[in-house]
Amino acid sequence: MPATPAGAEPVRSLYVHVPFCAHKCEYCAFYSAPPSGDVVNRYVAALVRELELIAPDCRPNTIFFGGGTPSLLTLKQWETVLLAMERLGLTRAGEWTVECNPATVSADKAKLLRDFGVNRISMGVQSLDEQLLERLGRIHTRDQVFRSFDTLRAAGFENLNLDLMFAIPGQTMALWQRTLDEALALGSEHLSCYEVIYEEDTPLFAQLNAGEFDVDEDLACDLYDALIDRSSAAGFRQYEIANFARDRRSNGQGPMTKAPEPQAGELVIGNGPLDLPTFACRHNVGYWRGLDSYGCGPSASEYVRGLRAKNWSNTTLYCEQLEKGRRAKEMAEALPPLGRAGELAAFGLRMNRGWGFAEFTVRTGFDLRAGWQSEMGDLIRCGWAAVTGDRFHLTRAGLRFADSAAERFLRPEAL
Amino acid sequence: MDAAHIRNFSIIAHIDHGKTTLSDRLLHRTGTVATRDMEDQLLDAMDLERERGITIKAHPVTMLYRAKNGETYELNLIDTPGHVDFAYEVSRSLSACEGALLIVDAAQGVEAQTVANVHLAMKQGLHIIPVINKIDLPHANIPQARQQLEDILAIPGDEAILASAKEGIGIEDILEAIVARIPAPKPTDAPSFQALIFDSYFDTYKGVVILVRVTKGELRAGMQVKLLHSGRTVEVKEVGSFNPKPYTRDRLEVGETGYITANIKSPREVKVGDTITDPRNPSAELPGFQEIHPMVFSGIYPINTADYEQLKVSVAKLQLNDSALTYQTESSVALGFGLRCGFLGLLHMEIVQERLRREFDMDIIATYPSVVYRVLMTDRTEKEVDNPAFLPDVTYIETIFEPIVKAFVICPGDNIGDIMALISEKRGEIRHTETLDARRVMLTCKIPLNEILIDFHDRIKSITRGYGSMDYEPEGHEASDMVKLDMMVNGEVMEAFSALVHRTKAEARGRTLAAKLKEVIPRQQFQVAIQAAIGGKIIARETVSALRKDVTAKCYGGDISRKRKLLEKQKEGKKRMKSVGSVEIPQEAFVEVLKTN
Repeated sequence: MPATPAGAEPVRSLYVHVPFCAHKCEYCAFYSAPPSGDVVNRYVAALVRELELIAPDCRPNTIFFGGGTPSLLTLKQWETVLLAMERLGLTRAGEWTVECNPATVSADKAKLLRDFGVNRISMGVQSLDEQLLERLGRIHTRDQVFRSFDTLRAAGFENLNLDLMFAIPGQTMALWQRTLDEALALGSEHLSCYEVIYEEDTPLFAQLNAGEFDVDEDLACDLYDALIDRSSAAGFRQYEIANFARDRRSNGQGPMTKAPEPQAGELVIGNGPLDLPTFACRHNVGYWRGLDSYGCGPSASEYVRGLRAKNWSNTTLYCEQLEKGRRAKEMAEALPPLGRAGELAAFGLRMNRGWGFAEFTVRTGFDLRAGWQSEMGDLIRCGWAAVTGDRFHLTRAGLRFADSAAERFLRPEAL
Repeated sequence: MDAAHIRNFSIIAHIDHGKTTLSDRLLHRTGTVATRDMEDQLLDAMDLERERGITIKAHPVTMLYRAKNGETYELNLIDTPGHVDFAYEVSRSLSACEGALLIVDAAQGVEAQTVANVHLAMKQGLHIIPVINKIDLPHANIPQARQQLEDILAIPGDEAILASAKEGIGIEDILEAIVARIPAPKPTDAPSFQALIFDSYFDTYKGVVILVRVTKGELRAGMQVKLLHSGRTVEVKEVGSFNPKPYTRDRLEVGETGYITANIKSPREVKVGDTITDPRNPSAELPGFQEIHPMVFSGIYPINTADYEQLKVSVAKLQLNDSALTYQTESSVALGFGLRCGFLGLLHMEIVQERLRREFDMDIIATYPSVVYRVLMTDRTEKEVDNPAFLPDVTYIETIFEPIVKAFVICPGDNIGDIMALISEKRGEIRHTETLDARRVMLTCKIPLNEILIDFHDRIKSITRGYGSMDYEPEGHEASDMVKLDMMVNGEVMEAFSALVHRTKAEARGRTLAAKLKEVIPRQQFQVAIQAAIGGKIIARETVSALRKDVTAKCYGGDISRKRKLLEKQKEGKKRMKSVGSVEIPQEAFVEVLKTN
């Protein structure tokens, strides 16, 4: 992997995929497999190799370890990865998140991660109702959530995210409100709440198709309303369709994260309704703003200088390639500027703050007001969007139809 | 051949009563076709004809038969379309004949279709030779078949020849009867050469091949002839007959049937029923000529709107061999560009649609068919309306007249109650009921054509578990309380679903259609009202509730590319959607409703 091209900035974002799960959840379509035999050690070695390849061009402000279940790696395996990252100069990120399953968090692991600079943990809670957890095929219990939360706090993590799911088959409004209240009471800095997605090739999708249950759209909408109202009452601000974060605490206990260098007017944190809350996940915000990002590990995607690429979704194949000293890319596509701009316009609207006109031009080289005028007009007329100051953004009603909005902004003809 | 040794005849039979098998037997027995060349159903050349056991085009075939009296006769069998949709073509084919074989299945007896065709043949003054076929079947009931001939058709039962075409029984008797009973053709008293055009077809190499029966003089290649109605004079290039494949002859003499070619490229210039004659000394035209008028109209649309040009080319090709088919461009909000086609009747409509699907591989959908209404305006002028979209404003309409048919329904006696209920539901009026035999009755009724367009025949079949049969003949127009029923989506009319219906039927149809549309119209981001209306008055309404959301919960770095591709696909899909009153509806939805109509 060549170093950063002359005159260009190194890539500031890094995603690492850990493709192992003790048990595959009913709804999950991400690539993962059981950590059998020596495959995990082989993966760790391959991952280190891949990190070595990208390191010369990567000075991450944000790192995200997702999965799979990153917390499934043993202490020893984590140490191997972390030491390599330290050696490669990849550990000084302002925000470094690792996803954890509540059943696989230990005090030792938490401490190790914290010591190497991990400062944000995202816990896949999904629900605090035992029956629904079982329905989803999760391996953890509600008690493990509370215990893990305390363990992480004790290890010094001051930026914690809880992943929750709603519209789970069998979930009533009462059950959701209870989970939501209990989760809010834990006092995390961040909440990610997803409506269940029925993705092909998942058991849940098959059950839906087999007619084992129905999707109640009205209920799902009501659950989402309850989420927005309750999280807001608890001090969270929504900054993306499924993401909610708190602002810096008034008692002066600031977040662990150092605010990273603002990039092209981005990531400016403030108190306005269209500003990002303090604890917004900067790594994910980077995706929606179109920042370059490396992706390592099986099935990981990346976007670097106009080239989108994806690694093989097969751990063995991935390892074989890296053992030969090359990255394991399944595909790479160059996005033409207008195609990329359409994509960014589309997905950037998922954030409450939408797009600043100047900001969009800086990111894409295109003027939103010139190229997407009629689309913006349509959305404003039907009450889905508004222009506030110099920003175009979806309204609360419009955020419900962000896919329809996104579709209009895409420019498939340019691809 | 001198006229005294020529016999021209056709065969009248119900489907499956053995017409084709008998024709094949005759061809074989007369040595016209050798056994090794026998192919099932020699005369029905189109796959569709073979499959459905019906004849769409006339197929003349010339046979030479050495009779018991030692003389050789030229027998011209003119196989005619068997359905009254083609009544005019049938009447022209019949007028090329002096006689007809009437085939009745010994087990099943006389059927409705036979009645309609026998009426036609009798009107033409043809001598009818009844043949009771399939006498070898174990449940053959010959006395009953004879009785039905007398009771229903007023044909002496004892004149019937007993036969089994399948087993080769009675073939000789039939051939002898043709010679003995059917009169030889008589020349007309025309002053010059004269012949009747009774059909035509298109040949890629020869152009239009005209089927003729010479009524005076003789026809040779090289002659100049005039087509009286189209006014064209052409030079005859080729003269011939069929055996059943075409073969050239040096001439066709008076009384003979055969074909001519004359380098005619447009089938529309050759009208069935026209007279050809000597241009220098023209004879009078033969009686009975009519311009063909379609009775039933329907819009035909390609399912894939991009196939419109292909559809146009296909229909034009079909028309080469089916000049009764008319079409013109039409467009619909719901279905895009298509063709409004005119058909002679229901069967003709079905056949055209089926041929487009099969022979031209077209994926098509047809709109609700309409008959031709006569509309008397308040200023006493009269208009013909075959498309509900063009019905004049009701305030200028004095009366609407709808086409009526006389229908014959034959059904098992057990089902008579249900059939009568069906006829009355269809606004029919039963004129009389006849008992055909121990098992069956025939109902003769007057019924509006528009009521039998869609499911009348199917319902008879289902009520009688397949034993019932139905046929009809046109019987003019009658004043009727017709209203235009429109279906609207958020206030905008979808013409594809508009129909003229009787006032008493409007509400039920409106409700049914609204309910069906509700099932297929996808939810939108706003509420959608589906309404059925007569004039401005809403008679039925359904509501498709608004979507409350349309968003994927999760979308991060790895998802963006996949998600983008998904949305792009949707966006492409929407290009194919039709926008009706700002409601986006996939064309498939309309197609779905039209299919179940």
